[in-house]
Amino acid sequence: MINWLNQHAQAIKLVLTRMHYNKLSTFMISLVIAVAMCVPGVFYMGVDHLSKLSNHMQDETEISLFLKLDASPNVASEIDAALAKNTAIKQYHLVTKDQAWKDLKAKAESNKIDNEVSQLTKNPLPDAFFIQAKSADPAALETLKNELQGIPGVDQAVLNAEWAKRLSSILALGTKIILFIAALLALALLVIIGNTVRMQILTQKEEIIVSKLIGATTSFIRTPFLYAGMIYGLFGGILAIVILTLIVQLYNQSVTQLSNLYSSDFSLPWFNIPLYIAIIISSILIGWLGSYLSVTRSIAAIKID
Amino acid sequence: MIKFDHVTKRYPGSDEALTNVSFTIEAGEMVFVTGHSGAGKSTLLKLIAAIERPTSGTVLIANQNISQLKPSAIPYMRRRFGLIFQDHKLLYDRNCFENVILPLHINDITGLDAAKRVRAALDKVGLLHKEKAMPITLSGGEQQRLAIARAVVSRPSILIADEPTGNLDASYAAEIMNIFQAFHQVGVTVIVATHDALGMSASHNRVLHLDHGQLKPTDFIQNGNFTA
Repeated sequence: MINWLNQHAQAIKLVLTRMHYNKLSTFMISLVIAVAMCVPGVFYMGVDHLSKLSNHMQDETEISLFLKLDASPNVASEIDAALAKNTAIKQYHLVTKDQAWKDLKAKAESNKIDNEVSQLTKNPLPDAFFIQAKSADPAALETLKNELQGIPGVDQAVLNAEWAKRLSSILALGTKIILFIAALLALALLVIIGNTVRMQILTQKEEIIVSKLIGATTSFIRTPFLYAGMIYGLFGGILAIVILTLIVQLYNQSVTQLSNLYSSDFSLPWFNIPLYIAIIISSILIGWLGSYLSVTRSIAAIKID
Repeated sequence: MIKFDHVTKRYPGSDEALTNVSFTIEAGEMVFVTGHSGAGKSTLLKLIAAIERPTSGTVLIANQNISQLKPSAIPYMRRRFGLIFQDHKLLYDRNCFENVILPLHINDITGLDAAKRVRAALDKVGLLHKEKAMPITLSGGEQQRLAIARAVVSRPSILIADEPTGNLDASYAAEIMNIFQAFHQVGVTVIVATHDALGMSASHNRVLHLDHGQLKPTDFIQNGNFTA
């Protein structure tokens, strides 16, 4: 066990020494990885925060439940009881027809459209419940709406969820695009890292030949190169986080201005720890895989004679 | 220890490098492989070190048939050998100490134990005072001695040297041969390929003489005079 650890420590030391002598090229390959990790990272941050915005919009995804015009106060209290029992409902309130009529008239006066309203001789408005669901999920809202529609005495249940629906499908599309971009960039990274490691193997050809001649196993020869790939990934990941933080910092101001226009406190946070961890882990994995794919073949291609 | 039985080696697109070669080398022997250049000396050594495989016939090393070794077993087979080449095959990006320690790292020996053994090996070839020097700063003879230190540091039972004195003048060559003699005297099997008789020191050693890939009967060398 100690020998095994020792061997790996030796390999890492060797790799770090080599990188120390090739600082510029190490920085370059890390930068390539960082940029490639940044692009899906930025997109993800955007979509992630739009999803949070869509959660804000939960307040606006209201179901309006209009009772029949001739519904008696008894019916209203029965429905009240039914709504109180429904677990999918977060909160609701009743606006009686008299209350609504009063509000309408007040609003009409302040907007100077009282002509039309005052021509109405009797109250055309029904009693109405305004319901906020617990979930913002369009499908869940639809189910709840249909359920409420079925209650006796209800004339119409109206879902104000058009926005939620649209946003949700845009976000789903955005997530798919991020996945595609991330997959393509990961593929490009595999090739780039594989190629870098292959070049390194060629520059270390002498050493590999000597090692083979004196009885080194393939895994002994391969280990430093695998660590090289992983360390490139680590450096690239860290650099990607630095770049992402800078981008967030630069754009936060404009995002804040924009969201102020919509009287929202929406802004991108500086630190998104789960995202950062994901970036580092995936860049290390890509570094390892890229070098693994190239190293075994490249070492086998080196002939000793 | 080493047994060749009707071994033929043909490289793709060329004539036979070795034809129907049979011999046995016992443990602790010191054997010279001689012949003109292109006679098959290097091929013979490569077959022993499992760098090449015979086209036909069998090569047995310590009762293992190298043709039947799995690729994963070959590294462990090679650790039985200390290999020395005409061109040294030293690594010029690290110092003498680091060159010699490489076989120990491959054998999972690290730390103080490894350092002790590296210094012992350097001492044996007279390079202890140069452990921090880079190989490129050493003379040809010193580089070859460094290569020998690397070959013996993991205490192999068989030393194989391919033209170890090929690039050296007579005094250096004699020095190298004396080192091989010393290892032979402590029980190491030593196999040296050389095209010149000069390298062979005056002693009673067996000679495998190759001529166009075929083993020719030879006598033991007597006081430096040998007849092929």
